[in-house]
Amino acid sequence: MEPQPKRRKESECDFDSWVAYPVLSNEQSQDTELIEAFAAPIINKKETSRLIKELAKVYPLPGLLHIKRVRSCKDKGSPHPLEVIVCLASDAPVIDHSKDMHISDLSSSGRLNCEGLGDPFLVKIPACPPLTRPQFEQASKHWPTSFHEDKQVTVALKGQLFTSSQKAKMQEYMMAAVAAARAGQQSGMEAVGAAVVDPEAERILAVGHDCRKGGHPLHHAIMVCIDLVARGQGGGAYTYDKYPACQSVLPYSSPSQKQGASTMTTCGVVQDGDSAEESGQPYICTGYDLYVTREPCVMCAMALVHSRIGRVFYGTASTDGAFGTKYKIHAQKDLNHRFEVFKGVLGQQCEDLNRPVPYIKMNS
Amino acid sequence: MGTENVGNDVVSRENFQPCAEDIQRWMANAFDMAKDALENGEVPVGCLMVYNNEILGKGRNEVNETKNATRHAEMVALDQVLEWCRHRDLDPRTVCERTVLYVTVEPCIMCAGALRLTNIPLVVYGCNNDRFGGCGSVLDIPSADLPHTGSSFKCISGFRGEEAVEMLKTFYKQENPNAPKPKTRKE
Repeated sequence: MEPQPKRRKESECDFDSWVAYPVLSNEQSQDTELIEAFAAPIINKKETSRLIKELAKVYPLPGLLHIKRVRSCKDKGSPHPLEVIVCLASDAPVIDHSKDMHISDLSSSGRLNCEGLGDPFLVKIPACPPLTRPQFEQASKHWPTSFHEDKQVTVALKGQLFTSSQKAKMQEYMMAAVAAARAGQQSGMEAVGAAVVDPEAERILAVGHDCRKGGHPLHHAIMVCIDLVARGQGGGAYTYDKYPACQSVLPYSSPSQKQGASTMTTCGVVQDGDSAEESGQPYICTGYDLYVTREPCVMCAMALVHSRIGRVFYGTASTDGAFGTKYKIHAQKDLNHRFEVFKGVLGQQCEDLNRPVPYIKMNS
Repeated sequence: MGTENVGNDVVSRENFQPCAEDIQRWMANAFDMAKDALENGEVPVGCLMVYNNEILGKGRNEVNETKNATRHAEMVALDQVLEWCRHRDLDPRTVCERTVLYVTVEPCIMCAGALRLTNIPLVVYGCNNDRFGGCGSVLDIPSADLPHTGSSFKCISGFRGEEAVEMLKTFYKQENPNAPKPKTRKE
């Protein structure tokens, strides 16, 4: 594929200066929730398998399949190398706290043969299966759990998901959004810019900037871009002819365009985008990526859900932002379209847009 | 002085309450718009924006027509309100602050954001929107703590709600010819 002709200088900043981090759902990013349970040392190792079987019957742990019932004590000098979860504190009988607890207190009226068990003690165990490596590491400090690692998420959390050549592309796209933001700022708009990209064809389809001032209070850069994409597909509701930095390009849909185009890897994305390509017709923003200089507001975030955007990349967070700050619309349960969001792309350049306009430009 | 103005502003927004008769009348109009959407292969949602007993904007979904998924009834009607203001050289904010939205279905999260950003004080709607509702069903945008996203607004719901649901059901029974075939969802 022929690279797009571009006039923009790519050397303006080095792509080692920024890292794209994923904006994960609350479930993936929150601290491990803990619940109390009684554990006891296994003082007679030969009883272990019987105890595990009996405990599974007497004190099953539904919803805690990630918890390993038995742990080996790290301290090798310990007289009892194994400890077992007897039951959740909430499942234990009411206990007289003035006395030391005895294992027979947990025998459940003799249903559990406590032979081989030492006296119980309270532990805190992770209430939910860990979803990310940081959660797994945190959870493991309390009690061993199983972990089905999503390697992509692990790599993404380290900021290492994208290769140098992918970052070069991402930087190019964000530069287009930054340039649009600057152009908008020159005409008195707030300095926010956005670009919609077809990642397969490696092409920018639309570039827009904030167009609120003097016109329309809802013409945020993203709303402008969404309509420009619609226009490129033969639809659209507005014209942005007054703003030369707001432009749309017709998308390609010929299969030859896709050959040789490297598809950026993504981690566990729910993309229902392929079907539009199968039919050869682009459908709204299905399978496209959006680059925007700052985190979208709730209106724009939901507009991207409606538009079936593929992925979103933004530069800096914003106070009422809906992709991480106030909401995580892209990971919202109940919504029928979810996608990945990354922040920090060209973070410094995007942050600089929030500074007052240099006064030389103001006077020109 | 400034504080006093803000105070008055709050009072006028709080006391904004149309009578039942008005609500019936405007909602009937909004339902006509929704029917028009249905007849044109769009999601049947219709709305009206009323200022001083005058209809400034009328909208229905125009998503398929414009290939722009944000062209919901509310967005279409808001454009007309803004156009009306432009013609009369009026500040959209002062007009919107006294404009009521009548809509057959709970505004989605996007539209609720847009209503905040344009400072609409009151929304009267028919049925809840379990898929995208931004006024309590999925998220509660009108009363959310979003200091940089316009003003909060009030909602009154349940006007001809069943009828609004029936229309949506009728629509979703048909296939949307513009949507791509859904893929089986991977978990």
